[in-house]
Formats: sequence, structure tokens, C-alpha cells
Amino acid sequence: MKLKGSYIAVVAAAAIVIAFPAFLGAYPLNVARSVMTYMALAISWDMLLRSGQISFGIAGLFGLGSYASALAVLRGGMNPFASVLFAAAFAALVAFALGFAILRLRAMYFSITTLALMEIFRIVMQNLHDFSGGPEGVVLPKIIFDGYSPALYWLCLGGLFLTIGVSWYFEKSKMHLALTAIRNDETSARSNGVNIFKYLLIAFVATSALQGMMGAIQVQSYGFTTPDTAFDANFLMLPMAMALLGGIHSTIGPMAGAVLLGIASEWLKLKIPYGHLVVYGVIIILVILFMPQGLFGLARKAMRNRRKAGANNE
Amino acid sequence: MKKALAIVAIVALAVPVFAQSGGTIKIGGTWPLGDITGKQGSMAAQQAVDEINAAGGILGRQLELIVVDDELKADKGAAAVEKLVTVDKVDVLMGGMASGVALGQIPAMKKYGKIVLATGAASYKVEEALGSDANWYFHLHPWDYNQGASYAQGWDEIQQKYSAVKIKKIFLAYEEGAFGKASWDATKTLFGAGGRYVVDGASFKSAALGGGDYGSMLEVAKEFKPDLFLWAGYDADALPMLEQAKAMRFTPKIYLGAPPGWPVGFGTSKLSENVMLYGMWAPSINEVSATSKKFYDGFVKKYKTEPATYFAPLSYSAVYIYADAVKLAGTTETQAVIKALEATKYASPLGQTISFTASNIIKHQGIKNQKILQWQNGRMEVIWPFESMTAKPVYPFPKWK
Repeated sequence: MKLKGSYIAVVAAAAIVIAFPAFLGAYPLNVARSVMTYMALAISWDMLLRSGQISFGIAGLFGLGSYASALAVLRGGMNPFASVLFAAAFAALVAFALGFAILRLRAMYFSITTLALMEIFRIVMQNLHDFSGGPEGVVLPKIIFDGYSPALYWLCLGGLFLTIGVSWYFEKSKMHLALTAIRNDETSARSNGVNIFKYLLIAFVATSALQGMMGAIQVQSYGFTTPDTAFDANFLMLPMAMALLGGIHSTIGPMAGAVLLGIASEWLKLKIPYGHLVVYGVIIILVILFMPQGLFGLARKAMRNRRKAGANNE
Repeated sequence: MKKALAIVAIVALAVPVFAQSGGTIKIGGTWPLGDITGKQGSMAAQQAVDEINAAGGILGRQLELIVVDDELKADKGAAAVEKLVTVDKVDVLMGGMASGVALGQIPAMKKYGKIVLATGAASYKVEEALGSDANWYFHLHPWDYNQGASYAQGWDEIQQKYSAVKIKKIFLAYEEGAFGKASWDATKTLFGAGGRYVVDGASFKSAALGGGDYGSMLEVAKEFKPDLFLWAGYDADALPMLEQAKAMRFTPKIYLGAPPGWPVGFGTSKLSENVMLYGMWAPSINEVSATSKKFYDGFVKKYKTEPATYFAPLSYSAVYIYADAVKLAGTTETQAVIKALEATKYASPLGQTISFTASNIIKHQGIKNQKILQWQNGRMEVIWPFESMTAKPVYPFPKWK
């Protein structure tokens, strides 16, 4: 019964967000797209984090997806929609190849290597002048769906739904057990027969594909990309902050964090035009200092305490 | 069920509430408010709005400026345009600084076709993205190729006027990022073509991006013995590079910097003396332009600080140009105002009259040249163009003592 209730709520929530364009204008839809993009990146970052591996490569793969999609359209004459799928596949392929080298690294060595990858991708795109447009980047001849706001919104929502779906699969399948076992104690996980490299590779390739796909959706929605915009550190820092705010090691935590921070950012901007970024930064610092488990962790703890108190009363 | 409630709560939070207002001629401005260019640009636009309102407004209506921070991000810039047009229902859009943000805004601008008075976006990529049909787009800031051409013209005219100034060898020190690399490409094309000048260059890691050691680059430059040493980097590079040039006794005949902004108080450093720079405005223009003086005095009185970037007088000009066009058109109707804007002849605080002519692609390009300036006795003096000149150039750059 409990499970059924959950499914009904998920379907209802999905129906509401799908119907947003019916009652929201172009501006809120634009803000929603931005929130959804960061949300998908936050979830995908968290998916790999569930194995204990902290990746700083989100912006690199996001940027790689942007360029793969833009160049597929410009140089290869590919259909823009197909280029989104191509970008996801390309990011996955790159991650698969790199995975053999970098997934043998752990802790800060892995993190630093993924951060370096972002910089390498940026430098490569910046220096392939004739192919990638160099520092000035490339401008697409037209925006996907001719810039029609509801269609752009649904495209981004599609990318988000796919990310949530994969994340939930990670939570509900044996991937969850494997990744949690790796995070808790790699040695005992291996001695229990968990193929550590295989699961890490699957997680790295899947999350890279999702990040590349979101980069492609972004470039097709705005019609241009440059090394500075595609590999912007904001696509790394904000998703991490959102996941930490909402609560890590879950799907719903990064979702909550993205909605809260995304809307807070826009609201603060309108209310405090000069200085909103300072307030926004202070909020993030305070939350991370005083709520290290995030909102979802806090809620979980409160529920556990209530349950314990109820049991004691009985 | 608790998880279900959490999902519904997240969705409910995602529905923002947006308000509307009305009754005035509304100007929608997008600038990067966290950057001095956008902060002072928007402040100067508000100053112009207040001055016009104090004088009775336009067509009996008051002006209202609604500013949204573009945060130097393309998606935020695009959302700002959507908000200003669909929620605030502005009559005109203005502002901007970074080309990357403008590229993100263009699809939304094209969708609505509102008049835009752009104060930034120098990249030719922006012009390509606009296309030749964007007759609603009025670009005040020079394009990158306009700037390059004006520097070439400026140095030609300076050499003709002052026979002592002779330039043959140009060295460009460029920061290794997008800005520096683009400057290097443009310089090679503009000055290197035809063999009139001998151009060489070297990159450096900007102090703004974790660098700050210019030793090897300066060694290459010193070896080259340039007549004109030009660096393209950021404000954080200005003083350390001069310090290291002094330590190495590197004294080119012309030492010129082209950062987007200069460090606060640069003019008070002894090292700044006779350093040249590219720009569009300096407080010294107050001596040759009454509009500049009016703008400068008004800004200082209102905000108790000096305008430190040319984006301030440029944004101030944008408001006046639009207000004059509405007055001339007698309406805020788009096509009538476009026609009136095409007749613009505005004596701007930048020390030059702004009118709109065609550029490579678009029909309405405002300013096409930059200025060559020089720090003299702690002040930025204009040395070219000669009609805005406030001082003669000090040449050559003096030997280090």
C-alpha cells in the first residue's frame, strides 16, 4: 500500500511538471530549465559518489557533451535531436576509455585526475581552432525546436527524467548494494565477490553519459558554446553544493537541493540585485557547516527519532 | 508516503510566483552586477533615468529602469531577457558586457524582437549570431574588428602627427586564456599582414588565474626589442608585470596595456607613469566634453564614487539615446522608435557623437573606434583620437631609474 502511494505521488508529480508549460510563461520555464540542468548534474554526481568516489569531472563531461553535440550538427550535419544522443554516447565512450586508467585511483587521486580532465578537455577545445572554433567557440545556425519555450522545457525535462530513472535504478537494483559495499569497505566487498572495477566502470560511464547529454541539451537550447562557458566551474561547484544541501547518497536529496538553491538563487537576484551572490554563498556555507547530512539526512534523522520516541512511549 | 509528500513538496516549491508592475516607460537592463563594469553601468543608467525624470520625463511619462543581474552566465542572461519581456513587459532592452552572455540572450531577443541597445558584446560571433535581419539591435560598443582597425588607424595617425614616434616591431604578451588568445589572433592578422609591421608574441599565465610570473615572457620580449610592447591580460597583471619589467630593465618605446579594467589606484603608483592603454573614456574627457562633465559630476554626487569604467558613460548614453528617440518618434511603438534611433546624433559623454551605421553584418552599429590613452601624472589622458585629445603623448616610455 505504501509502495503504491509512492508510485501515485511520483506519477502525479511527473504529470504536474510535464504540464508546467500550460500555466507558466517563458521566464519561469527558462528558470526551470536551469534548475533541471543543475539537478540532473547533481544527481549524476551523487550516483558515482555512492561508491565513495568523488568526481570533479562533471563540468568536463558536460562541456564535452556540449561540443560533441554542437560539432556533430555543424560539421557532421547531424539532426540536433540525434546529436543529443550522440553526445551522450560520445561522453560514455570517452569515460569508458578513460575509466580503465583512472578508476584504479582512489580518494583524492581520483578527484584530482577528474579535475585535470576538465582542464584538458577545455584546452583541447580551445586549441583546435579550425575544428572547434578556438576560444571564440561555435554558434549553431539555429536553436533546436526554433527556440519554442515549452519544447525546450520538455527536452530538458526528458533529460532529467532519464537521469532520475537511472539514479532510481541504481538505488533499487544490486548496483546499490555493490556501490555501498565498495564505499563502506572495498576489501570486504572484494572478498565477498563484488567485481569492484566493473561496478565503478558502469557507474562512471552511466553518469558521464548523463552529464554529456545535459551538456548537449544546453548547447542545443542556447545555440552556441565556447570553452569558457562549456567547461565553466559552475557546472561543477553548483551541482555539488546542491547535492550536499539536499543530502547525498540518494536521488531525492540532490533534487531537493537543486530546487531550493536554484529558486533561492533566482529569488535573491530579484530581491537583492547588488550583493545576492554574497548572500547565496553565505547560505551554502552555513548549510554545509551546520547540516552536513543535508536536508534529506536531517529529515531522515528526525523521522528516526520520532519513531524511536513512539516506540519508547509504547 | 513520506517520500511521496517530499516529492510533491519539491514540485510545489518549483512553481515560482512572479509579479507585474506598469504605468511608465519601462527600460529593462541586464548587466553583470558582481563586476564593476555591470555595477557601474547599471548605476549610470539609473542616473540617466533619474535626470530625465527630474526634467519631466518623456512624452509626459516617467522612465523606469528594471535591472536584472546576468551573473556573467549565458543561461542567467537569457532568463533575464525572458523575465524583462514577459513578466515586466519592458519597452526596450539594454545593457550587457560579456559576449558569451549576449550569445545566450540572442535567441530570446530574436523571439520577441524588442529594441535592444547593447552596451557590450564585442565578439564578431555575436554579430554572426544576430544576422542581417536584426534591425531591432543597436550595438553601441565597437566590435572586436572595429577596435583592432581603430588601433591600427590610431597608430598610423600618431606616427604621422609626431615624427618621433616610429613603430616597426610589435610584441604582444597575451594571457593564455580565451581573451588573450583572441587578442593574439587579431593582432597577428591586423598588424602582421602585409609585412608593414613585424609582430611577435608570447603567452603568460595571468595573476588573476593563479599566475603572475612574467619572467620568461619578458625575456622573449626584451630580446625582440619591440617599439610597441602590448599586453592583453587582466587588471591583476598590471602592476606585477611592470614591477618585473622594471627589475629586468625592460623599456620598450611604448608600454601599453589592454586589460578590460585597471586596478583601483593604478594611477597613484609611480610605475604607472607614461603607461599607455586602450579604452573609451577617462575623467580627463570632462575638459573637452560638457556632457562628460555633466555625467561625471552627477555620478560622483549621486554615488559618492568615481566612475571607473567606460561602461558607465556608455550605459548612461544608451538611456539618453533611447529617450531622445522616443521623444522624436512621439511613441514607444517599436518600428517608429527604430526609425527615430536611425536618426540618432547624440553628443555622448565619451567625447564623441554617436550615430548608427552599418557594420559587417548588422545595420545599426554605434561606436566604431576605441581611444588610445596614457597615464600622465596619475591621470588617464586621451592621446588619440585627436578630436578628444587631452594631452600629447609622452614618448618614448622613460628608462627605469
